[in-house]
Amino acid sequence: MGEPGFVAKTLLLTRKDLRIEMRARDTLVPMLAFTFAVTLLLAFTLPTTGDNERAIAGASATTVADVLAGFFWITILFAGLVGFARTFETEQAEGAIDSLLLVPLDRSGLFLAKALANLTFIVIVEAFLLPLFVLLFTLDAGPGLVPLVLVILLVDVGFVAVGTLFASVAAQTSSRELILPVLALPALIPVFIAGVDLTSDLIAGGSFGTLVEAGWFGVLIAFDVILGITAALVFEFVLE
Amino acid sequence: MIETRALTVVYGRTVALDGIDLSIGEGITGLFGQNGSGKSTLLRVLAGLLRPRSGMVTIGDAPLDLRDERFRRRLGYAGHDSGLYPHLTVGENLDLFSSLYGCPEDATDTILERVRLADRKDARAGELSAGLKRRAAVARALLHDPDILLLDEPYANLDDDGAAAITAAIESWRGPGKTGIVATHGAKRVKAYADAGVILTRGTVTVAGSYRPGGKRGLDG
Repeated sequence: MGEPGFVAKTLLLTRKDLRIEMRARDTLVPMLAFTFAVTLLLAFTLPTTGDNERAIAGASATTVADVLAGFFWITILFAGLVGFARTFETEQAEGAIDSLLLVPLDRSGLFLAKALANLTFIVIVEAFLLPLFVLLFTLDAGPGLVPLVLVILLVDVGFVAVGTLFASVAAQTSSRELILPVLALPALIPVFIAGVDLTSDLIAGGSFGTLVEAGWFGVLIAFDVILGITAALVFEFVLE
Repeated sequence: MIETRALTVVYGRTVALDGIDLSIGEGITGLFGQNGSGKSTLLRVLAGLLRPRSGMVTIGDAPLDLRDERFRRRLGYAGHDSGLYPHLTVGENLDLFSSLYGCPEDATDTILERVRLADRKDARAGELSAGLKRRAAVARALLHDPDILLLDEPYANLDDDGAAAITAAIESWRGPGKTGIVATHGAKRVKAYADAGVILTRGTVTVAGSYRPGGKRGLDG
């Protein structure tokens, strides 16, 4: 058997993380439980009108859309941070981080493998949250769904890049659950502002056309590129 | 040849290694010393996992560089912990590293036979006893037949049968062009097959020499 290439090794490590999670269930389950609890709580903060639609007294439909978009992304943000804090937990239990650091694979491969595993977790959380949101906040999921999925994936890229990088920093401290949000939130602000703004537009009836014309769409893509590349490069120095 | 020059490692106010100068040649070198003498620290530095405060390590003629994938491919290291994923089976752990190193398909089975752990292939690594974990850790370090082998307390928690399996695995690994360092605070087992020995005391080399005929003695073995 020849030595696999960069992509194959990276995917091997991602598959390892997913296999471990399927057995341990100590990352995804808390993320989903957090998501469910917060969404349920938020559902009671907006009063319903007679026709079972969410409304705020005196507020326009756009304002309600802003609030719902904020709810959605705050839930994702903190559910993600709950899970990302555990990114290197499995490596630390028995010192497997040393074994991993000695593997002949570029450090960016280790970063990508962890990021892909985190991306899988956050996508599963979103796949759970989205229908829950539609149901509890009686949203029209039809026309805006495809562009909304695009926005979600674009936010995920930046979120996972920053979350994985700072998880590696936080893993070297004894209070990683506290350190991770402190480190990651400032870097994530532009990504999540873009996510909230674009999601709000879509909830208020926007389409794919209005999405790509929005200024935040370009900002989001730019931040994804910058954060993704920076995180992959800086990861090596964090490990060192 | 592994060489260290004026290697110094400091943890806070504690000097773990104090200006270590060593030349370690081909064959197996026993690294002896009491707990806290700096054996594990020295192995971590030699593996590139710990950056010294000062001094340098050269492997062959080149300075040690953990970023060099060729160096990592040549190195086998088993530290204090098993270095395994507790939720994966022993076989899955070794298969993972076997794939990452591009080992032959039968590498996992071969090395498990060698450390007499084949019957535990399907056991989860986290459920193994401390002694079996050590054997699995050594198996992982030997899996890709490295040129440089660094083992930290490979005999810890092992009964006589387990220790004999580890010794046999190390003996079958050794060969031309291979350099191994086995750190232990109980020197008896390693002295039986080591070519040379180094004794560390509080971060300094107090004795270093060869067990080979004609080699520099200075060791009590």
